[in-house]
Order: sequence, then C-alpha cells, then structure tokens
Amino acid sequence: MYFQLGWRNIWRNPRRTLVIMTAVIIGVWSMIFLGALMRGIADQMVRNGIATLTGHIQVHHKGYRNDPAIENSMAEPQAVETALNKLLPPGAQWTSRVRVNAIASNARHSSGVTLVGINPHREGKISFIGQAITQGRYLKPDDKYGIVVGKALVDKFETKLGRKLVLMSQDTGREIASRAFRIVGIFRAEKEATEKQFAFVTMPVAQQMLKLRKSISEVSIILPVNQEADQVATALRTALPSSDYEVQSWQELLPLVTAVLKMYDGFIFLWFLVVFIAMGFGIVNTTLMAVFERMREFGLLKALGMKPWWIIREVLTESFFLLILAMVIGNSLGFLSVFALSGTGIDLSSLAAGLEFVGMSRVIYPIIQGKDVIMANVVVFILGLLVSMYPAVKASKFTPVEAMAHT
Amino acid sequence: MSIDLKMAWRNIWRNSRRSILTILAIAFASLLLVFMLSWQFGSYDAMINSAVKIHTGHVQVQAKGYKNKRSIRLVVPDPAEVGDILEKTPGVAAYSFRTNAFSLVSSKERTYGAIVIGIDPVREAKVSTLEKLVHQGNYLSAGDTDQALLGKLLAKNLLVGLGDELVVLGQGRDGSIAATMVKVKGIFSSGQDEFDRSTIHIPLKYFQDVYTMYEAVHEVVVLVKSLEYVPEIKRTVAAGIENTNKKGHLVALDWMELMPGLIQAIQMDLVSGFIFYIILIVVVAFSILNTFLMTIFERTREFGVLMALGTTPGRLTKLLLIESTTMTMVGIVIGIIGGSLITWYFQEHGIVISGASELMRQYGLAERMFPQLSVLSVVIGSGAVLVITLLTALYPALRVRRLRPVEAMMSV
Amino acid sequence: MTTKSIVDLCLSLFVFVALFAKANGQDAQALVEAAVSYYRGEASISTVDMTIHRPNWERVITIKAWTKGQKDSIFIILAPPKDNGNGTLKRGREMWTYNPKVNRVIKLPPSMMSQAWMGSDFSNNDLAKSDSVIEDYTHTITGTEIHDGKKVYVIKSMPKPEAPVVWGMQKLKIREDHILLSQEFYDEDLKLVKAMTGQQIQMLGGKLSPKVWKMQKSDVKDEYTLLNYKELMFKQDLPDSLFTLSSLKNPGR
Repeated sequence: MYFQLGWRNIWRNPRRTLVIMTAVIIGVWSMIFLGALMRGIADQMVRNGIATLTGHIQVHHKGYRNDPAIENSMAEPQAVETALNKLLPPGAQWTSRVRVNAIASNARHSSGVTLVGINPHREGKISFIGQAITQGRYLKPDDKYGIVVGKALVDKFETKLGRKLVLMSQDTGREIASRAFRIVGIFRAEKEATEKQFAFVTMPVAQQMLKLRKSISEVSIILPVNQEADQVATALRTALPSSDYEVQSWQELLPLVTAVLKMYDGFIFLWFLVVFIAMGFGIVNTTLMAVFERMREFGLLKALGMKPWWIIREVLTESFFLLILAMVIGNSLGFLSVFALSGTGIDLSSLAAGLEFVGMSRVIYPIIQGKDVIMANVVVFILGLLVSMYPAVKASKFTPVEAMAHT
Repeated sequence: MSIDLKMAWRNIWRNSRRSILTILAIAFASLLLVFMLSWQFGSYDAMINSAVKIHTGHVQVQAKGYKNKRSIRLVVPDPAEVGDILEKTPGVAAYSFRTNAFSLVSSKERTYGAIVIGIDPVREAKVSTLEKLVHQGNYLSAGDTDQALLGKLLAKNLLVGLGDELVVLGQGRDGSIAATMVKVKGIFSSGQDEFDRSTIHIPLKYFQDVYTMYEAVHEVVVLVKSLEYVPEIKRTVAAGIENTNKKGHLVALDWMELMPGLIQAIQMDLVSGFIFYIILIVVVAFSILNTFLMTIFERTREFGVLMALGTTPGRLTKLLLIESTTMTMVGIVIGIIGGSLITWYFQEHGIVISGASELMRQYGLAERMFPQLSVLSVVIGSGAVLVITLLTALYPALRVRRLRPVEAMMSV
Repeated sequence: MTTKSIVDLCLSLFVFVALFAKANGQDAQALVEAAVSYYRGEASISTVDMTIHRPNWERVITIKAWTKGQKDSIFIILAPPKDNGNGTLKRGREMWTYNPKVNRVIKLPPSMMSQAWMGSDFSNNDLAKSDSVIEDYTHTITGTEIHDGKKVYVIKSMPKPEAPVVWGMQKLKIREDHILLSQEFYDEDLKLVKAMTGQQIQMLGGKLSPKVWKMQKSDVKDEYTLLNYKELMFKQDLPDSLFTLSSLKNPGR
C-alpha cells in the first residue's frame, strides 16, 4: 500500500517531479560517465605501462634493475622457465627478452635506443608490439637482419621501410658489437618517447651479436587477472633464489602509475560527494515543498490516529521512488554514453605534447568499473534517503490543529 | 529601495526555509567553484614553478640557435652584462649562469656519455631545486673545484658512490681537449629519469677553466617572483640584450618555449576541469529550478489578483526576476565569502593529498599544495553560476506571462 | 630475325655482360685494395697538421701518427702545447683515448663512436672502420677520367647487404698509379653526405700522394677539416708493442 500511495503521490505534481528527477539523472549520469572517463584514463595508463614491455611481473638477474648492464643477464634461463611452468596460473603468458642500450645510426643520424631481442611469437601475445605495426611487417622468428622501429625514430632518422640501420652496443667481452639491420616494420605507440626508444630484433640475433649465448635480460609475465600479480610474484620470489634473481610486480615497476591510480580513487569519490551535495539541496527542497503542500492531509491522517513513523515512511517511500527512477535513467544514460564512445574513444591527439607530459594516451576510452557504479548509486541512494529524512520528520511533527489551520 | 525590490525581498522570506535552501545550493556551487578554481590555478603555478625550478627556469638568455644545436661555441660571451640588465629588471627573483658540455664520464668500471653542467653553487641554489634534490652527500659549496653532483641513475650506471673519482673528457670551447678528474660530492634525484641519467654538475668556475670558456656561459637562467611577470620580464630582457649586444646574437626564451609540453598539459587540465564544473552547475540549476517554478504555482492566485488590478505581465516577470536574482546574488556572495575564507585558510596552511604526496616528492615538489585566491578564480566560477541560475530563472519568469487573470484567481 | 635468334643474342649478351661485370668486379676490388695498401703501406709514421675550419673559427692541431697494416694505429697530439700528449689508440675496431692531465686511458663506448673525433669532421667511426671499404663493399668501375694526363678510375662501391656500415654507397676515384684521389660517402638515397678529397699530389715518404686531404660535409658550406701531411715515412714493419695501452700512455718514441 505504501508503494502504491508513494508512487501516486510523486505524480501528483509531475512537473516538479520531473524537474528534480532531471537534476538527479544528470547527477547520476555525470557520476557514471565522468567516473568512467577517469577510469579510462587511468586504465589506459596502466595498460600502456604494462604493455610497454613491463608486463604484470618481471624477473631479472639480481641487480639488473639498479644497473641494467649486460653483465646482469640471466645466464641460465632454464631455471626461471622451470619455476614459471610450475607456478604460473593457467592462462598466464610469459616471454623472455634481451634488452640492452645501443646506438642506432644511419648515414646522417645516430641516437641512443634500447635494443630489444624478442621471441616474436610469444612477445606478440604479451606486449604492445604485436599489434603496433603500422607499416611493413612484424618480426619473423628467423629474421636475421630484420628490425622493427618506431615511427618517431624513422622520422627523426629521415629513413623508411627497407632502409638500413646499424646498431652498436657493447658485447659481454666489452668489445664493440655492431650489426646492420633492415627496417622490416614500423610501429606506432601511445607515446612518442616509446617510438623513439625501442628497436626490436629477434632474440637469437641479439644474443649472437652481443655474444650472450643463451643469456637473457628479463622475463616478462602477463597474468589472466591483473590483481593476482602480487600473489604470483611472491610465489616466484620463494621459488627463485633471491641471491640470483629479483622479481617485481607492475606496481613496483611503475610507481608513478600506482600513485596516480590511488589519487584517482580519491578524486572519483570526492566528485560523487560534490555532485550529490549539489542535488541534495534540490531533493530536500522539492520534498519539503511536497510535504508542506500536503500539510492538511498529513494533519488529517494524524488526527485519524496515524503514527508519526508511518508518515515518515510514507514520505521516504516517495523519495525512494523518485531516487530509484532517476537512478535507473541516469545509470542507463551513463552506460549508453559510455557505450557510444567505447568504439571511437575521445581523441585528444591535438594535445599530444601535453598528454606526453602527464603520461596520458592520445585516445581515451571510458571504462565502467563495477565498484564505481555501485559506489555512485549507494551514495545517491543512501544520502538521498538520509536528506529526505528532514522533510519526512518535519511532516510527522505537524500537529493536527496547526495543519488544519494551514491553507 | 524601490517598491519592486521591497516586494521581491519580502516574497523571498515568505517561505524562508525554501529560500534558504535555494540560496545554500547556489552558495555551495559558487563556494566550491571559487575554491576549486583557486586550487587549479594554484596548482598550475605550483606545477610550472616546480617544473621550471628543477632546471629550466622561467626565462633563459642564450645564444641564438643554442636551444637546438647546443654547440659549446654558442655562448653568452659576457654574462655579467646580462646580469646587469637582470639586476635592473623589477620582478626578477634570482638568476644564475650555466654552462653545458656533452662529455665522456668514466669511472673505474664504466664509461658513459653525459652532459656536464657548470653551476654557480650559490646562485644555482636560488634558481633551482638542485640543492634540495641532493639526497646523498652534500651540495656544492662556493669554494669547491673538482667536486661533482651526479644524477642518481648515472651514479648507478657508472657504479660509483660518494667520494669516488670520475674522469671527465670532452672538448673545450676552443676545440682543445677538456679533461679533468672530479670527486662525487653528492648524488641527486629529481624524479625525471632523463635528467638523473644524463647529467653531472660541477662548479661553474671549474668548468670554465677546464673547458676554456673564459668568462662565457651557455645559459643565463632567470627565476621570476611571480609567473605573471614572465612576459614583461622577457620583453625587458630581450630589449636590454638587444641594446648592449652586437646584432642580435642573444635571445631570451620563456618557459613555454623551453618546455612546450607543460603548457599543453595545463590547458588540458583546465578544459577537463571546466567540463566538471559545467556539469556541477547544471545539476545545481536543476536542483533550484523547482524553487523558482514553485513560486509561480503557489502564487498563481496572487498573480491573478495582481493582474486583475492592472499589473502588466511584464512587471510580474520583472518582479520574479528580481526575486530570483536577489536569491542568486545572496547565494553567490555567501559562496564567495565562504569560498574565499576556505581558500585563504588553505592558502596559509596548504593541503596534503594522501597518495599524491609520494608523487610530488618524486618530482621534487613540495608535498603541500597551496590554492591561490585571485580575482580570476573568484569571478569565473561565480560568474558561471550567476549566468546559469539566471537562465534557469528565466523560464518560470516568462511563463508567468501566460497566466490569465480569471483562471488564475480560480486556482487554489 | 627469328625469335630464337633474339633469345640467343640476348642470352649471349647477358653472359657477356655478366662475365664483364665479374671481371670488372675483380679488377675494381684489386684496384681498391692496391690503392689502400699504397697509401697506408705496410706501416707508416707521419706528422699531420689538422685544421678544423668553422665560420668565424679555426683551429690547427699537430698530430703524430703511426699505422700498421689496416687495423692498428695510434695518434698523439703534439701541438697546441695545451693538448700535447693526448692520444688515440685504435686496434681493430676498438678505440681508446688517453689524456695526460688525468693520466687515464678510456675506452670509447659505443655511444661515442658516432661523435666527432677531436672536434673534426671525421667521426670516431671513420677511424675505427677505416678498413671497412675493403671488407664491407663490392666495387665496380663505372668510368674513367683523365686528370693531369693520368687515367683515373671512378669506382662505385656498394656495401654488402649485411655489412654493418651506415653508408648507402661510396664513390672512389683512384688514379692508374693507385693514388686515391677522393672518397665520397653517400646515404641510401644516394645523396652525398660527405666527401674527402686529396690535393697537391707530390712526393711524400718516397711515394707520390696527395699532401692535403679535405673532409667536408655536403650540407654545410664553410665547414671542413684539412689534413696536411708535414712528414710521411713508410716502414716495412713497426713493433706490436707500439700499439698498446702502455704505449698510448707513455709514447716511447
């Protein structure tokens, strides 16, 4: 009965109800949509970070993180492989790499790069490079002289596909190792810095060039579930002797991204609160109006022996309907607008230099996170009912005499 | 006070609870906007200032072409002359001289190419945060000679610690071989990997000796008292060096030219901030629209009577608009006062954002952020609130014209 | 003519061209090797003035150089006095530099190899890979010219596909008496990047050769480096001990 009564009551003045509902709808929509945008930015940062040769977990020779020199390579990758095969959850992917600083040069230019020797097949499933080739082709496992470099490097070097690039680095005997490569593929990345930094060749070629034999620089692991990183890292840490290896999760490998994530969490919650307060005034005012209009009605009910608690319940039921309805519409609109943008994203390429500066992507894809949606709705619903208590209590306190006297 | 104003004022207080809530909603929006905008503007200033304080400075005087070519021969031949101009320029907080040379830096174990930077220890401490970034060992002092500050990552790459010796080998300004041995006196960490991986600082005088610079330097780095002075100071300095120097050999560059990414990052943040604010204001507008609408529904009879007595619909609209404007104005004034007070409090005491502080520390920023109250931050936010609320008020105010006196008087 | 005879003709033409090319290739290779060993000799000792010219600026360095075969050389600066004793040792493709003031030998890391040597228009790589023209290229004679009444071969040298060289092509001019007259370096678009040209051919150390070499990048006008031979002596051999780190630090000449 309460529900029926409440439902009817909110439509006694449809215009008023619609206006306040609009306020709540816009509020909820903005919570969902802007929350999703911010999550999109943060998620992109994390994914970029992880895809840019980080992975969820990395294994290195002890000391490599402090001193990424060729001396700190893992001479027996087998030991790591055995541990990985035993400990990784099903669905996890891993790859090994050779990674050294090198100098790339052609006839007119030269610059420092990171030479990365990869297993093309495994690497493609793990890092961005598998999907990033925009010209030419990706590396083949038997590419002896093929190299894949970024668009920005190609532009800087005034070169193109099929052209030669000479790479120089120090081999394990501290001699200068140099080798000529042909550009077989050009990749694009979110950040120009990435495009200028990495040059990919196949791992056997890198090992041969640097006289590494079987040694590798790092193992990078992608887990099916992001959150398992810490747990799996701990397991690996116990399995691999800490005198020889170090194991890090992406949170440790990307401290800045981790800090930004934390800050966004706080910011999103704050935004929810602010928007709610903005609509809270409206909810209170509208409910108050509705209550005062019906002062006589409430007085009468009271005179007929209605308990104050029932009146409170009656008013809250009305708010309940109003909130639920607005929330349903607001959520749907939020989901719809996120969905509409999920294909194309929001392209901010015109601000590329600024994005690079703060480490953001060129295109933002909003992402809905369950916990944000729940938090938004809980904030609106609980606080909405809470502020409606004021008019409800007010209504329950009308004395019959006073109420009847009111015109 | 005119009769209309008096009527509007009384009408507002006929239903004081409702009016107060409406005013509070408006006050809340403008308070928040005043605070947030001050916060944003303040953080931009902090961002710019701390970014430029790591190394770049607000304004630099260099030889023309040095920014792109960075050849050791492109010098500011007489830095004292530029110093004189800066001394006379109001708004300059500090300035310092620097020299740069790409050189080989070699420890017992390793050799890397790095940028050797000559700094005046005393002056440098006033223009950059370098002194505070030294986490291990000590900053350079005035009399130091063969002492060096090393970036943390470079120190790791070279496998050296405090007190270790490094050989620096490069080419002097006259083409001669510049070679010296320096001791690591301090290790700094700015959080910017590139800077920490590729730079080593030695005393300016020593640099000038080793690299045969004579009196010449490569950069005159200027820190100004407040960001607003930058364009003015850049103009003054540019005019000054034009007068003293032979055929435009020197140029003055500001931080936007030296760090183009920064200004874009700020524009981006500003735009995204505005999207949030607009949405917030719209939510507030719909929240208070009901109050404005209610007024006419409740008072339909009253308006009917007024119209029957000969009040024109135009006058009614005017009356209603005066009422809503008054409420808005009161709300905004309260919001501005409240917002300014809160901003002012935090401007004095600073705000620590949990989580962000470790981020800040990495970049050598202060952990505390200080909002900055300004005419702009007060006017923009409350202006936007005013415009949108008045647009909201317009709808009910215009609707009143559709009332027919007879029907209106019949209504309850 | 029948189709067959055309095919025959083409075929024989092709065989002829292929044979010629092969013979030419051998000739060209031999010519280049002869030219290189002519100017380097088995071993040599020389004194060179190196002039680095820039707009509004010029600097002259006097260098004493010892070379042995294609791979080993050592350079010590004699003047200006300030730089006296600074040296560079090259063995194979590795380079070390020595400075008497800090009394330390530093091995050049890969990152420095593309930097200028002593501020000149020669890069460290030009020195380190000086033998590259013989090992890493295939040569063809593309024409002949007459200079001072002597026949000069124009040789096009294309890098072998897998050779670690940055150039797209080199063009050498070698006189019939094996004197190298010029060496031009091209990028992969076959645009000239820099050129080294010999001037003032005269008797030096008992052989005719250019006294002055000029190295100039093609995209700048008023910048070049001159190598002017003051003395040149060819030797049958030089002791290996000359091309060591200790000799670099303490040139016992």
